[in-house]
Amino acid sequence: MSERAAGLKRWLTTTDHKDIGILYLVTSLFMAVFGGAFAGLLRAQLSAADLKLLNPDLYNQFLSMHGTLMIFFVIIPAMAGFGNYFVPLLIGARDMAFPKLNALSYWLVIPAAGLMFGSFFVQGGTAQTGWTGYVPLASRQFSGTPGVDMWILGLHLVGLSSILGAINFLVTIINMRAPGMGYFKMPLFVWTWFVNATLILFATPVLAGALTMALTDRAFGTGFFRPSEGGDPLLWQHLFWFYSHPAVYIMVLPGMGIVSHVLPAFSNKKIFGYKGIAVATAAIGIIGFMVWAHHMFTSGISPALRAFFAFMTMVIAVPTGVKIFSWLATIWGGQIRFSTAMKFALGFIALFVMGGISGLTLAVVPFDVQVHDSYYVVAHLHYVLFGGSVMALLAGTFFWFPKMSGRILDEKLGNVIFWLVFLGMNITFLPMHWLGIVGMARRVYTYRPEFEFWNQVASFGYILLFAGGMLLLYNMFKAVRKGERAAEDPWGVYPLQRTLDWSVSSPPPVENFAKIPEIV
Amino acid sequence: MKKIRVFLMTGLTLVGLASLGWADEPITNWLVNPEGPLARQVRSNFFFAMVMIMPFLFLAEGLLLYAIIRFKAKPGGRAAAFHENLRLEVLWTVIPALTLAITAVPTYQTMRAMEVPPKSDLVVGVIGHQFFWEYRYPKQGVQFAEEALVVPAGKVVTLNLSSVDVVHSWWVPAFGVKQDANPGRITHAWFQAERPGHYKGQCAELCGKLHAKMFIDVQVVTPEEFEQWILKKKGVSLPPDTTRKS
Ligand SMILES: [Cu+2]
Ligand SMILES: [Cu+2]
Repeated sequence: MSERAAGLKRWLTTTDHKDIGILYLVTSLFMAVFGGAFAGLLRAQLSAADLKLLNPDLYNQFLSMHGTLMIFFVIIPAMAGFGNYFVPLLIGARDMAFPKLNALSYWLVIPAAGLMFGSFFVQGGTAQTGWTGYVPLASRQFSGTPGVDMWILGLHLVGLSSILGAINFLVTIINMRAPGMGYFKMPLFVWTWFVNATLILFATPVLAGALTMALTDRAFGTGFFRPSEGGDPLLWQHLFWFYSHPAVYIMVLPGMGIVSHVLPAFSNKKIFGYKGIAVATAAIGIIGFMVWAHHMFTSGISPALRAFFAFMTMVIAVPTGVKIFSWLATIWGGQIRFSTAMKFALGFIALFVMGGISGLTLAVVPFDVQVHDSYYVVAHLHYVLFGGSVMALLAGTFFWFPKMSGRILDEKLGNVIFWLVFLGMNITFLPMHWLGIVGMARRVYTYRPEFEFWNQVASFGYILLFAGGMLLLYNMFKAVRKGERAAEDPWGVYPLQRTLDWSVSSPPPVENFAKIPEIV
Repeated sequence: MKKIRVFLMTGLTLVGLASLGWADEPITNWLVNPEGPLARQVRSNFFFAMVMIMPFLFLAEGLLLYAIIRFKAKPGGRAAAFHENLRLEVLWTVIPALTLAITAVPTYQTMRAMEVPPKSDLVVGVIGHQFFWEYRYPKQGVQFAEEALVVPAGKVVTLNLSSVDVVHSWWVPAFGVKQDANPGRITHAWFQAERPGHYKGQCAELCGKLHAKMFIDVQVVTPEEFEQWILKKKGVSLPPDTTRKS
């Protein structure tokens, strides 16, 4: 196929990896509006002690959906969006290995999102169990609402979407690299997606299994998680975190890939320690499967398990450190151009280091026990997922938007967006470390008056984040309509970086390359 | 090491005061005002880990900031061409690994202290309900719910926790204790509060609608007051038991 349908039909019938990538990205932006709005409702309710803005039922619903949407419908699809668009381009392929399967992966997200939104409107509303869905709270006895069943089915569908996508990525990367592109010649974004797809392939089926067990416990009275039937609630926690810890890397690794392109591009240098970063990525992928129970240090697991998982959690910090030092060495001695993409990439380092260090403190079990399920963990996970994944996605957005749309995002506006997001992020989440240490539990719709001051600060930070988000949307609308046109290589990075994305027109033609490039 | 501790403590106290200044009853926690040997050990473990780990935070953020200021592109400037250095790469793999190995030592010691309590002076069963706590003193024959847990100062209190419905978590920050209470399983924790007083905590595991209101109160009293309290409690919680008294 070399002719592309026009208008709506193009988007509904496309199997072009670039169109599907854009569909993923637009969907994730759309979902981010809701995920962000829910966060706003939570921060509004917490802006003073004992506020009566949201009742506890509603608060818990928005809380659960904020997490669910941001993880499964914003960050993961956004990474898949960039992956779809750029992995084939970067390896010199004309499309993904299975274009129709690729379209199916995307279209599964839509009914899944429908189930999530629909679950608000059934009797009893949606899940109030947090995105972690711990049993017995999520069992039929304590959450009778069909909203929980819809939540489970929705996760099943996005899980299936991820698995199919992962197979596609693996087959594509293994088989469709341009001649001459050995594994250690793949650009780092491809490397991170290679490891990422492997993680998805091994971890997500476990989540699917756990969800199925939860569903049959609810629907047919099987007792996988019910002590009275010989089951065990801790089994859910083990299975859930066996998926959900690797999921953290599923959300972060491709972001690290993006940053590994942006940093050298705007330092006018080559990436430092390419092999080290690639190997560290693979190491994180493997060790990432051996740390899940650090989410369960207070659950009553055996001392031997605690000791093992504490150790592995420290071990995984080492390859993470390798990456951070390699990025620092990449910009060292460079000629840094502070484009918006570069600012977000540097902001990514600043914030991800914070999240990494606070994560490392959580490997210190006695400390973890004190702050587990407190606001300290809320702070930590937002430094990793917002400061890490989202900052990297924003770097990728400003970096690759010209390639995808043929238009350049307004850089002046971009600067304002960066500072709003960077400051807003720190004002919102930095105080939460302290709130957790002094005893504020997470997932609460109200708190003791002692915690009020820092909660007000956090809620104020949200306003900045909100403004940043709105301006970003405006910037995109503006750029698509009348932004400056982009040439093949608008940032002037191809001569040194030699990545194929900048060797073709913006946007690239259907099937990308008239002649498959050879890599020397 | 000593200096860093003093520095950390002053900083903490300042932040603590700033955030608690106007609260009528100051909140207590293991970091600012740890209560008992376990909480103190947790704190020193934390300080040790901080001393080991924080230099990496300052190093990374410092290098980043320096690079941002120092390597801003200049007209006609030329970027360095290096992109590997094996010795550097080995160093930044090995040094963090060694640091973490050292950090692990006191961590494992403290974990052991948390898991193996000294000889117990008082056993209390803690049972989570949506959304309140029930306490049982099996030896003393006392049980009640929705009231403060009362324990004698200076005594080792061991807890056996479970739940009748969903997962809860018993958390009193000042004692350095947080332990999930699971249905169908008994978990353990211990603490030893030295100073009489009133300590607050709350359920830490999302347990449903009123999770936020599932507070914990612990009243630490002198051993004599504790005896008195037990006697009084028996009178209240049991029907007037005239046969045994006479
Ligand atoms: Cu984890
Ligand atoms: Cu509870």
